[in-house]
Amino acid sequence: MSIHSEKIQDIDLKKIFWVFLKIGAFSFGGAYSMLAFFEKELVERRKWLTHDEFIEAVAIGQMTPGPPIVNTGICIGYKLKKIKGALTATVGQSFTGALFAVVLAIFYIKAKNNILLHSVMKGVGAAVVGLLLSIIYKMAVKTIRDYKSAIFALSAFFALALFRLNPIGLILASGILGLAVYGRRK
Amino acid sequence: MGGENKMAVLLKFCWILVVVNALTIGGGFVMLPMLQKELVEKYHWITNQEFLDAIAVGQVTPGPLTVMNAFIGYKIYGFAGSVMAMISSYLPCIIIVSLAAKFYYSYKESIIINSSFRGINAAVIGILGAVVISLGNTSLVDFSTFGIAITGFAVISFTRIDPTFVIIGSGLLGLLIY
Repeated sequence: MSIHSEKIQDIDLKKIFWVFLKIGAFSFGGAYSMLAFFEKELVERRKWLTHDEFIEAVAIGQMTPGPPIVNTGICIGYKLKKIKGALTATVGQSFTGALFAVVLAIFYIKAKNNILLHSVMKGVGAAVVGLLLSIIYKMAVKTIRDYKSAIFALSAFFALALFRLNPIGLILASGILGLAVYGRRK
Repeated sequence: MGGENKMAVLLKFCWILVVVNALTIGGGFVMLPMLQKELVEKYHWITNQEFLDAIAVGQVTPGPLTVMNAFIGYKIYGFAGSVMAMISSYLPCIIIVSLAAKFYYSYKESIIINSSFRGINAAVIGILGAVVISLGNTSLVDFSTFGIAITGFAVISFTRIDPTFVIIGSGLLGLLIY
């Protein structure tokens, strides 16, 4: 690992935890603002890793299952302090959000029969549908580049919407089919 | 849910999260169809409306959408459910990312991984589309909710406004209308 050898002595798990706690607490907004925040804090300010190592971590974050931003953090944690660093980065990064979610859950269950909450959630539920539609739109623009990928998307849609096949099975099957269709041409 | 098999429910819930998160490639939204199928349709631990609320919570809280699993976990098994939900969601990520970081170059060049992801990424769009129809059946009940959904779609797709504000704004709108 090519991280500057005298700096790495100063990095301990506590520091990793605090940095990722900070990153996790301010990670409202999109992925790009998050990544800019990462780069500023870890590469420019603390010099824990080089720009190239950071880019590599971002790439790994995107190619692995799970939320890309958290995965980038896990990867950086791993580079700094192996598996302990990876665990610390994950806990730090997800702490604030999980705490908020628990507080909201307590409130939500208490106010379950509250009419005001019902009205709020009616609006929110509709907005979530709009949000998901726009996610689909953005993913489609990025991913559907040839007729093959369009067929993948359409068949998956009908398999679930009409035949109610299991999505876990569908994802596994499309991975295997992807291998069969795209795997040969390299 | 009966008292003595609550533990079994928690374990099953955790197992579902492990499997789903291990297959979630390209962002938290990919997990939604799988979670909806297992948690709502198969086991009836939560309703479609509660699922929508959980997505909203995941979106307005800091951090990734995965945080919504802590919300669902609380609903199913209280505080321990939240903690277990977070552990089960992140465990596969930690293992796989650590391995990928260790074997970066062979992972990146792997034809198996690259070509199966291409298939999965395309299929996910269709799968997500089908789930939106199911969720829309629950939440789009009249003219106003349709309006909110369409406006939300347009604002999030074509402006730089953060989805968090759209969701909070729609909540306030719901308060005014209903």
